[in-house]
Amino acid sequence: MSKADPSKKSAVQTTGHAWDGDIQEYNNPVPRWWIWTFYATVLFSVVYWIIFPAWPVGKSYTKGLFNTITFQNSQGEEVTTHWNTRSRLIKNMQSGKEALKQKAYLDQIAATPIEAIIADPEKMAFVRSMSKVLFADNCAACHGSGASGVMGLYPNLVDDAWLWGGTIDDISATIRHGQKGYMPAFAETFTDHQLDAVAEYVVSLSGDTEGDAAKVAVGEQIFKGQAGGCHYCHTQEGTGLKSQGAANLTDQIWTVANVPDAHTHEAKLNAVKRVITKGIQREMPAWEGRLSDTEIKLLTAYIYQLGGGQ
Amino acid sequence: MSTETTYNYKVVRQFTIMTVVWGIVGMLVGVLIAAQLIWPNLNFDIPWLTYSRLRPLHTNAVIFAFGGSALIGTSYYVVQRTCQTRLFGGGLAAFTFWGWMLVIVLAAVTLPLGLTSSKEYAELEWPVDLLITAVWVAYAIVFFGTIVKRKTKHIYVANWFYGAFILTIAVLHIVNSAEIPVSWTKSYSVYPGTIDAMVQWWYGHNAVGFFLTAGFLGMMYYFIPKQANRPVFSYRLSVVHFWALISTYMWAGPHHLHYTALPNWAQSVGMVFSLILLAPSWGGMINGIMTLSGAWHKLRTDPILKFLIVSLSFYGMSTFEGPMMSVKTVNALSHYTEWTIGHVHSGALGWVAMITIGSVYFLLPKLFGREQMYSVKLIDWHFWMSTIGVVLYVVALWVAGIMQGLMWRAVNADGTLTYSFVESLEAMYPFYFVRLIGGGLFFLGMLVMAYNMVKTISGAKAVNDPIPQAA
Repeated sequence: MSKADPSKKSAVQTTGHAWDGDIQEYNNPVPRWWIWTFYATVLFSVVYWIIFPAWPVGKSYTKGLFNTITFQNSQGEEVTTHWNTRSRLIKNMQSGKEALKQKAYLDQIAATPIEAIIADPEKMAFVRSMSKVLFADNCAACHGSGASGVMGLYPNLVDDAWLWGGTIDDISATIRHGQKGYMPAFAETFTDHQLDAVAEYVVSLSGDTEGDAAKVAVGEQIFKGQAGGCHYCHTQEGTGLKSQGAANLTDQIWTVANVPDAHTHEAKLNAVKRVITKGIQREMPAWEGRLSDTEIKLLTAYIYQLGGGQ
Repeated sequence: MSTETTYNYKVVRQFTIMTVVWGIVGMLVGVLIAAQLIWPNLNFDIPWLTYSRLRPLHTNAVIFAFGGSALIGTSYYVVQRTCQTRLFGGGLAAFTFWGWMLVIVLAAVTLPLGLTSSKEYAELEWPVDLLITAVWVAYAIVFFGTIVKRKTKHIYVANWFYGAFILTIAVLHIVNSAEIPVSWTKSYSVYPGTIDAMVQWWYGHNAVGFFLTAGFLGMMYYFIPKQANRPVFSYRLSVVHFWALISTYMWAGPHHLHYTALPNWAQSVGMVFSLILLAPSWGGMINGIMTLSGAWHKLRTDPILKFLIVSLSFYGMSTFEGPMMSVKTVNALSHYTEWTIGHVHSGALGWVAMITIGSVYFLLPKLFGREQMYSVKLIDWHFWMSTIGVVLYVVALWVAGIMQGLMWRAVNADGTLTYSFVESLEAMYPFYFVRLIGGGLFFLGMLVMAYNMVKTISGAKAVNDPIPQAA
């Protein structure tokens, strides 16, 4: 069978064993380049072990040939330790080339009142550059990458309608502490008749004249009186109340009831009725502690200038 | 014919057929989750079909069901024939088959239910872990018992590799799965924090090293010289690379934990041992490919040999890529990216699956008394589907991974990050799509194989070869 060919000049012999009838093994030497590759990796390793922290010795380990490394720990204290990649990373985040470039801007941002930042095109260029990623990593999951929100779920941040206020202080407070939006469910409170009437009135508030005038009048009484009590949060005029995060119902901007997508009067009423019967419970988490003060400042300026800052 | 005069092929037949079956199942799940990465709705809002539950099902199915059946089945065939004696232990071999199948079925039920120990590649909960241990001990008894009662003087090299694989997996499984049960379906690891991570990756990387490498090298050392009908290139190389491989693999695990809370010195040790692994790994590739020297022409006509030899090429490529990725500076770019997935699949599809497929095509006709497979032309088709599939898969994820790593670290002139995380994710879509096509092609190849297998078996009679009496 597959024996080595003895007529060949440098014929290599097999080991002389055969398994399963015909499996044999040549006794070729180990390829030279292979063994030298092996030695080279071993040599590299020994050198690496000497230079870098490498082997455990008792309760300690070999520290390598590098000098010590100094960085600030999370309490702001200077720490000096033997060289290691973890400390190098921390140091690099504090005083590496890119970190220093960023820090120069961040220090300016921290020291400048936010109104002055917004007025300064150069600083705003940095705000946009850094906040684009901050927003995408922290806010966009709900508000969308374009910050235009999701109807019924997450508010639009690019228009000038604000539930919780659109001034610099309002935006900053919302990011820092989060918000809890709440409207009670009126399913148990209203009869079908009352529900129809309130919905007619709410739809009429934004200039819709298709509704039945008598129903609108009944709805207005419920809205402004004790029966509904809607005015406590939405005000007598229906213009909303920032302190409650209550929506302005007169501005034709809808954040929860999907009236803009309703094409008949009936559909608009149904959209509003859904909100009235089920109420609203939604929450934006607080970012204080997760983002630094400067990062919150950056995001405030960024969101403010998206279109609707007041 | 009395059983002691024939080889025990029954258990080999069972494992061989199930290799193909589990290969199809495992790869189908892989194709589904690859599609879910592009179209998340494909989980149909059913908890059991979510990516997080199917991913461990996929890895367990391809590694332990497909790979495990292939390893146990071929090792039973190889150890009998190269020791010239029937399998040791009587019914114990049958127990290993049914036990292993039960493990797989339990995995297929518990993982989609969300029952997991949360250790990668060791997700199965403690009752299944115990069953695995029992089956594995039985497997070791059958295998080493057969070695002990061998009729040949020397132990063939394939059996060294199979033996190292069996012993090491036993140790790895027991140490890594040490856990405290709190109920029938939940347990907690006995190791705390960073130590748990280190044990996990000591296990994880040696699962690659001993399950997916040493075991399949055992397969390689039998089926390549058999199919090529040539002597193994170098006995001396096989000795040196065997000992080098099994003594260095054990240390490489920490490279999975670069730049983590694992102490720097442990990371250093893991990195350099991974580099040292390059040559020992390549020893197997050289020995396999050089076995064909003087018989290269056979590659033109023999698609089984094509599978076997191309699998070694992927093996060589993966075992070059692996040490490079373990270098910390490279790892800083590659870690947590799609590159890692690409690397794993160049090994898992290119090496493990292709050498298995070649070996199964070799085995099936012999186990069922046929001259050859029903259709050699279909083997060739399968070969090209697999090869093109792996190449598409791996290249797509190389590009994707490197792009992802570069996007994560890109900075603007003002020192701020250029891309958000989600932008790097959006950039992945075209590559996910190519990966799906590549993986899908590989999966379709397995269906071609199943058809060929059924046609080969149907009407055939199970054959148990007689044991030659004179050594």
